[in-house]
Amino acid sequence: MRRLTYILIAVCLFPLLGVGMLRAEDVQFRAQAPAQVIVGRPFQLSYTVNQRGKDLRAPEFTDFDYIAGPYTSQSSSTSFVNGRRTSSFQMTFTYTLMAQKEGTFSLPPATINIGGEHYTSNGVKITVLPEDQPQQASTQQSAGSSQQSGGQQTARQSSGPEQGNIFVRTLVSKTKVYEQEAVLLSYKVYVAGVDLKQFTNNITLPDFTSFLQQKIDLSDVQLQLENYNGRNYQTATIYSTLLYPQKSGDIQIEPASFEAVLLVPNQARSRSIFDDFFNSYTTATRTLRAPGTTIHVTPLPAGKPAAYAGGVGKFTMESKISATDVKANEAITLTLTIRGAGNMKLLKTPGVEWPEGFEQYDPKVTNNFKTSTGGMSGTRTIEYLAIPRAAGDYTLPAVQFGYFDTEKGKYEVLSTPEYTLHIARGVGEPTANGQQPTAVSYVNKEDIRELGSDIRYISAANFVPAGENEVLRVQFGSWQMWLLYGCPLVLALGLFVIFRKRIRENADIIGVRKRQANSVARKRLKTAKKLLGEQKKEQFFEEIERASLQYLSDRLSIPTADLNKETITSTLRGKSIDDQLIERTNRVLSDAAFARYAPAMGIKPDELYAQTEQLINDLEDCKL
Amino acid sequence: MKRLTMIYIALLMAVMGFAQSPTELWARANQAYTDGNYADAAADYSAIIDAAPVITRAYAPVYYNLGNAHFKQGELSQAILAYERCLRLKPTDKNAKYNLQFAQTQIIDNIADTQVFFLREWVTTLRNMLPLRVWMWSSIILFSLTLICLLLFAFSRAIGVRKTGFYLSIIFIICSVIGFANAASLNHRDSVRAEAIITRGIVNAKASPDRSGTELFTLHEGTKVTIHEVLGGYANIEVGNYNGWIPVNTLERI
Repeated sequence: MRRLTYILIAVCLFPLLGVGMLRAEDVQFRAQAPAQVIVGRPFQLSYTVNQRGKDLRAPEFTDFDYIAGPYTSQSSSTSFVNGRRTSSFQMTFTYTLMAQKEGTFSLPPATINIGGEHYTSNGVKITVLPEDQPQQASTQQSAGSSQQSGGQQTARQSSGPEQGNIFVRTLVSKTKVYEQEAVLLSYKVYVAGVDLKQFTNNITLPDFTSFLQQKIDLSDVQLQLENYNGRNYQTATIYSTLLYPQKSGDIQIEPASFEAVLLVPNQARSRSIFDDFFNSYTTATRTLRAPGTTIHVTPLPAGKPAAYAGGVGKFTMESKISATDVKANEAITLTLTIRGAGNMKLLKTPGVEWPEGFEQYDPKVTNNFKTSTGGMSGTRTIEYLAIPRAAGDYTLPAVQFGYFDTEKGKYEVLSTPEYTLHIARGVGEPTANGQQPTAVSYVNKEDIRELGSDIRYISAANFVPAGENEVLRVQFGSWQMWLLYGCPLVLALGLFVIFRKRIRENADIIGVRKRQANSVARKRLKTAKKLLGEQKKEQFFEEIERASLQYLSDRLSIPTADLNKETITSTLRGKSIDDQLIERTNRVLSDAAFARYAPAMGIKPDELYAQTEQLINDLEDCKL
Repeated sequence: MKRLTMIYIALLMAVMGFAQSPTELWARANQAYTDGNYADAAADYSAIIDAAPVITRAYAPVYYNLGNAHFKQGELSQAILAYERCLRLKPTDKNAKYNLQFAQTQIIDNIADTQVFFLREWVTTLRNMLPLRVWMWSSIILFSLTLICLLLFAFSRAIGVRKTGFYLSIIFIICSVIGFANAASLNHRDSVRAEAIITRGIVNAKASPDRSGTELFTLHEGTKVTIHEVLGGYANIEVGNYNGWIPVNTLERI
C-alpha cells in the first residue's frame, strides 16, 4: 500500500520534474549553412534551437537573394535508458537563399526570444564559388599532369559520360623545407558529376623512405565544395600525413594510386515502367592516380650550438624548481617545460649539470603532443630529480636548450635562469658519536671506528683570559729578538777581550822572569865566586842565598815573600819533581841560610857553591 | 699601547651592550654544553675568541671546547679547525690531540700521505711539540749558555772546567740552532698559514683556476690541505700526492 503511494506521488511529480530539467538545460542556438556555395544555386540557412523559441530575428541578407523561409520545424524525442528519462527538443528555422556574386561573406548572428530572454546565435561565414564554366570537352585535361602554381600537381582521370570528372591531387604544404621541418602531404579527391561510392582498400602509397612519418587522423573529414580550374567540385581529403625529412637534397615522392568505386547509371533502356521510375546503377571500380612530387630539403646550416638538442621548429622553454632552500637528503625537482611546434618527438632531453654532491636520477619525461595538419605541437615536460647529500651553497648552472628556428632560419638557444641552492644540514639526531646520521654511509673506514668511543669532555678549568707577558711577547724575527741574541754575544766578546788582555800581561811578566831566571842566577853565582876569592865569606853566603831564592821565585812564579820550605815543596811536588831533587833544593836553601846566619856550623863555601850550581843546572833541566 | 687596547676593549663592550666578561661567557658556555645546547655553547665560545684583543696560549681551552661543541653538532670541519687552532696555541694539549684524531677518523677522505722521509717526519713532530715562543726563548738562553761555556773554556785555569766548557758549548750551540730553526719554521707556518681545512661537503678540484677546468679529484669536508697559491678566487692546493685548484670559499685557513 505504502509503496503504491510512493509510485503515485512519483508519477504526479514527474512532469514537473521534466519541465524543471528542461529549463535547467543550456540554451543552444546555432546557425548552420554550407561553407561553400555556388553562385546562382539556392542553399539553405537554418537556425536550430533546443528549446521553444519565438520571434526569430534573422540578419539582413544583403549579399544573398532571399528566396523562401523561414520554415519552422520541430522535433522532440524522449527516451528511457535504465529507468532514466532523457528528452530532447529541437526547433529549426530554415531560410532558402541564393548567392549573387562570388567571394567570401559573413552572415551576422541572429537573435531569438526564449522565455523572455534573448539569445544570440553564431555568425556564419560562406564562401561563394563561381559558376561552372562551360566544359571544354575537347581539351579536357586527360590523365596528364599540368603544373600549377604552388608546386601542386594534378592528375585527372576523366570519366567519360555526362561530363563527370573525378581525380586525386597531391598537395604538399611546402616544397622547400629544412631538414627535420614538417611537410604536410595530403591526397585530395575531386568529384564532379559522378557518384563516388567509396574507396577500396587497394591503395598504393609511396614509401616515404627518407622521412619520418606521422599520419593524421581523418575521421571527421567533411566534404567541401571547391572551385578548381573553373569548375566546382566536391572535395575530400582521403589521406594526410606529416613528413619530417631525415636527409637533405631533392627527395622524390613516388605517385600514389587509389581505387575508387563509382556508381554508374545504366545506359541500357529500361524495360519496365519501374525501371524508369527508379534509376538503376551499376558499380564500377576505377584506379585514380595521384602524381608524384619533389621536396627540396635544405640541410641545417653549420655552426650548431653546443646545446643543440635536435629540435627544428619554434619552441619556448620554462623552468620551475621545487625548492632552493632545503635540507640535505631532501629531494629537489627541476621541471622544464618545452612548448612549441616542430619535431617534438625527436628532441633530446637537455642535460642538467647538478653540482657535486647531488645524487641525480633519470629524468621523467611526459609528452603531450598533438598532431594536426599544421604539424606536431604540444609540450614536453621533463622532471629532473636530485637529492643533495651535503650541506652548503651551490649554484645550479643554467640549462640550455638549442634548436633551429625555421622562421628565422638560424639556431636559437633557450636558457633557464641560474638557481642558487642553499642546502642546510640534514635533520636527524646526532648519534652518540656526535656524528651526523647521513654521513655514516660515507665512512667506510671500519677499522678505526670503535664502539662506545667519544670525544673527550670539554675543559672545565677556570679560564683566565690572560694576555701574554710583555717581556716574553717578543716577536720572532723582530729587532728585540736579535737584541736578545746580540746582548750576550757583545757581553761575552767584551769579557773575552778584557780577560785575554789581562792574561797576556800576566803571562808576559812571569814568562820573562822565568826565561831570565837562569842567567840572573849565574850572574849572582859569578859575583859570589868573586867574593869568595876576596875572602868575603859573609857576603859570599848572602849572594848564594839570594841567587837560589831569586831563581826559585822566578822559575816557580812565586813571590819571594811567599817563598819558604813548604810552598817550594808543594809547588815542586805539584810539578812532579822527584823527591831527591826537592830535598836537595831545600838543603841548599837551608845551608845557605845557616852559613849566613850561623857561621859556626862550619859549612864549606866551595862545597855550597858547587851544590848550588849543580841544583840550578838540574832544575833548569826540569820542566817547571 | 696596552692602555689603548684596554680602552678599546671597554668601548667595544659598551657598544655591544651586554658587558659580559669572558669568564662569565665561559661559565655560561660550559653550562650550555653540559645541558646539550651545543649551538649556544659554540656561539659563546666564539664570542670569547672574537672579543679577545690578542689570542694567547690561555685561549687554547676555549678553542678546545669550541671544537667539542662543533663536533657534537656534527660540524666536522669547524671542529677540526678549532682543534687545530687549539694545538697551534698549545701543542702539548693531549685532549685536543685525541679529539682531533677522533674527528679525523670521521672524515671521508683517506689521504694516503706522500712517503715522507722518516727524519723529516721526526723533525716536524719535534717542531710541533713546543710552541714558537718556547723554542725562541730556549734558543736565546742556550745561546747565552754557549757563550758562558766558551768563556770558561777560554779563561779557566782548571783543565777539567775548560774541557767541560768546550763540550758543553758545542752541545748548547747545536741545541740553540735547532731551537732557532724550529722557531723560524713555526713562525713561517704561522705567517703563511698555508694549511687549511675543507669546509664544504664535497668539492671537486680542477686542473686550472676557472670553472671550465678539468675536474681532477674530489675532496670532502674536514680534509687538511696545503695552499700553495691563490689566484682569482681559486686556491692551488696540495693534499697527499694530489695537486689541484679549488674555490677559496670552500676552505678555511687554520
